[in-house]
Amino acid sequence: MTEVSILSLVKRYGTALAVNDVTLKVNHGEFVSLLGPSGCGKSTTLKCIAGFETVSDGRILFDGHDISNREPEDRDIGMVFQSYALFPHMTVAGNLAFGLEMRRVARDEINRRVADVMELVQLSQYAGRYPRELSGGQQQRVALARALVIEPAILLLDEPLANLDAKLRDEMRTFIRDLQKRVGITTLYVTHDQGEAMTMSDRVVVMFDGRIAQAAAPEDVYDRPASEAVARFVGNANILTGTVEAGADGAPGLRFGSEGTLLRLPAALPAGTAPGRGLRVMARPEQVRLTAPGAGDATGTVVSHYFNGGFIDYRVRVGADEIMVHAPTADRFADGAAVGLAFDAGRLWPLEGAA
Amino acid sequence: MRLASALLGLFRLLVYVFLLAPIVVVVLASLNAGNFLTFPPQGLSLRWFFTFLENEVFLRAIGFSVVLGLAATAASLVIGTMAALYYVRHAKRRAESVRIAILMPLILPEILTAIALLFFFYEVGVGTEYYIALFTGHVLITLPFVFLNVVTSLQGMDEMCELAARSLGAKRFTAFRRITLPLAKPGMINGALFAFIISFDTFGISYMLKGTGSAPLPIQLFDYLRFNFTPEAAAVSTVSIILTLAAVILADRFFGLKVQRF
Amino acid sequence: MSGLFRRHFLILPAAALLFLFVMLPYVNVLVMSLRAPSDSTPYGEGFSAGGYVKLFSDPYYFEALGQTLWLGVLTAFVCFLLGLPIALHISQASRRWRGLLYGIVLSPLLVGIVVRSYGWTILLGNTGVINATLRNLGLIERPLPLMYNSFGIVVALAHVFLPFMVLPVLGALQGLDPAVGSAARSLGASRFTVFRRITLPLAMPGIQSGAILVFVLAVSSYVTPALVGGMRVKTMTVMVVDALIDQFQWPFGSALALSLAVSAGVIVLVFARLTRMKWK
Ligand SMILES: Nc1ncnc2c1ncn2[C@@H]1O[C@H](COP(=O)(O)OP(=O)(O)OP(=O)(O)O)[C@@H](O)[C@H]1O
Ligand SMILES: [Mg+2]
Repeated sequence: MTEVSILSLVKRYGTALAVNDVTLKVNHGEFVSLLGPSGCGKSTTLKCIAGFETVSDGRILFDGHDISNREPEDRDIGMVFQSYALFPHMTVAGNLAFGLEMRRVARDEINRRVADVMELVQLSQYAGRYPRELSGGQQQRVALARALVIEPAILLLDEPLANLDAKLRDEMRTFIRDLQKRVGITTLYVTHDQGEAMTMSDRVVVMFDGRIAQAAAPEDVYDRPASEAVARFVGNANILTGTVEAGADGAPGLRFGSEGTLLRLPAALPAGTAPGRGLRVMARPEQVRLTAPGAGDATGTVVSHYFNGGFIDYRVRVGADEIMVHAPTADRFADGAAVGLAFDAGRLWPLEGAA
Repeated sequence: MRLASALLGLFRLLVYVFLLAPIVVVVLASLNAGNFLTFPPQGLSLRWFFTFLENEVFLRAIGFSVVLGLAATAASLVIGTMAALYYVRHAKRRAESVRIAILMPLILPEILTAIALLFFFYEVGVGTEYYIALFTGHVLITLPFVFLNVVTSLQGMDEMCELAARSLGAKRFTAFRRITLPLAKPGMINGALFAFIISFDTFGISYMLKGTGSAPLPIQLFDYLRFNFTPEAAAVSTVSIILTLAAVILADRFFGLKVQRF
Repeated sequence: MSGLFRRHFLILPAAALLFLFVMLPYVNVLVMSLRAPSDSTPYGEGFSAGGYVKLFSDPYYFEALGQTLWLGVLTAFVCFLLGLPIALHISQASRRWRGLLYGIVLSPLLVGIVVRSYGWTILLGNTGVINATLRNLGLIERPLPLMYNSFGIVVALAHVFLPFMVLPVLGALQGLDPAVGSAARSLGASRFTVFRRITLPLAMPGIQSGAILVFVLAVSSYVTPALVGGMRVKTMTVMVVDALIDQFQWPFGSALALSLAVSAGVIVLVFARLTRMKWK
């Protein structure tokens, strides 16, 4: 097990900054996801760690040793590629044995370890097949096994599930996560799928434009995003803009919307928040409840609703704003109906920065 | 509508016949028992093949063509494969100019290239000695075929494969030898085959650059045909056709099965 | 430095080869065409444009240039007429047939140009297969003039270079989804309309490069005009070889060869311009 430290990493292509001053520490056995929109520098960060790109500035340490200038083959990493990059001219067993052959492991031990890892990823019966004779999910597991069989210091995965269909993707999420826990290997996982990052990781690192916007546990990123951009990228977010006022009982509240509804705010507010100041507050759609008109914190009109299996997604107009509500199927409201909105005061999240 | 379709079908059939006719006729003519190329043939026999087998000039020409073809193919294979790797991996913005430059010998009129080479080798004082000019010319005109074929197979390959090998601990050269080379192999085999056939059959370059010693088969055949009308030329041609076919079939037998594997 | 070398050494041999043996020789030919002629050596002292003057002032050579280019155009056109239906046929054929038809189209390439031209002399000669058959059937008395003229040359050249028309067109048609044709017909287009509005535009880039390739190959071919034309039809290549090898006049031969290459290049450019304007 290895600890990875990335210190002020910078990667330039010509004058363009693909990675801009990224500092991150990944602990022993931790599963960390790099999450961000396309082009934000996730893959580039991973390539720098793997040694496929030379860093422009900054250092990368494995267990305190600077490996920034080592060749990829001397870094002791296991990498899973989005395209899998399986060797098409070798069988499954041949692919799995390759890394061990490079390490000059004795033949019987190679055979034993390849057999073990095939068992681990449930591919034992496919040892003699060529990659093109396997399904997408099977190829994916070969790629994973190929990276794991060499027992690398760290495991790097670049969008490994992007080429799978939705159902298989869900299965593989759990599969990879369980395997990682069992092997206990330090893992960096690149994805642009926030659901994937949430369910699998110990920690999620959200990146925008080559910079880290937030690095925190999945619940924190979801419930307490560091910025509006993070809030909007990770899941759906209602951003309520208004002014801070003291309520009747003296507790702070947010006056928002044209009706001038006063929302109760949680006790902890960002520094510098004072009555009369503007503030933005995030409320996740499932943290809003629909009630009878007049019963909640605000009143609105249903604009549209979509049935979504276990839930109904409503859009409710409140003054000039449109609020998304993720409601259980038991609550049914027709389009155009007047409804009340009840916010979960404890989970409203005030965002940093002026409104 | 029916009639139009039928006419179109007939037209196609005639074109296919047109494509095969001269080849079939050559083979048939070689079996002519008579002294001259007459039609209809005066009986069937293999006598002209025996005449040819005793004719040292043609035998030597065939041997020379085979050796020249193998040598030119070997050189083109190395140079062309390297160039293809460069074109696919490293050329980046220069890619289009690299491609055009390497295809130049194919685009330029062969006879003009041949003349240019002839003068050039005389100017530098080598002339047509030691078959250097001839060999160079053959490498030039076979190079594009190796290049095109290897590029095709490299482009079909996942570039990440080599990185994957590196991440698994392979040194740069090992990754090349164990991953890239095997994946480029089908293109190299096809390219080499093309190169050999082109070298074996090309005329302009050979005609201009041949020295005073041995000449390649097409030249020997051409010189013979200008003044002789016996079916011996047909027999030689038939053997040349068979040799070319054999190269294709052998390549397919020995390498083809492996090519099919992935 | 070492990284730079590592990346660029791959192209070094090819670059050296092309520079030394294509670039320099072509420059040298250009210079050669402007050298003064000599009676005793391949070329004399000093420079002169005499080769070009002779070519453009003597109708004998000038007409040969026109004749050669005209034969090239004819050959390209015949290849287009014969090649397009074949390419369409192969692109629509079933897998099993496709291999065989492909083989037939490629067969001329597998047989040397000398052998192929020789085959045509056997077919087209005065006592050749065609004339002998017709005479035996009593259809003709004197042999038809099939060889030793432009007709024979164009027929043989079209055969020799037909694969170079079919292959690019096939390549262009690879992107043709058979469903497109069905879709167009379901929208009410006739078979001919589908051909004119969908197939032909798709095949156009292939036809263009095929036509250019055939034209260039045809005007610079030597064996076929020499064997099938029997030296009676003067083409430029035949005269170039004459000037160089038999008369030993390098400057004049170079001037002839370069004039042919340049005028062929101009025709190719004009053709590319015209077709692109029409089909864009
Ligand atoms: N080889 C390269 N040369 C120049 N620019 C590059 C190169 N590789 C990446 N970039 C640029 O660097 C930025 C980051 O790219 P990167 O591949 O890391 O994005 P990513 O976050 O992985 O996106 P995606 O989700 O689309 O894979 C992009 O703007 C990209 O255009
Ligand atoms: Mg990426």
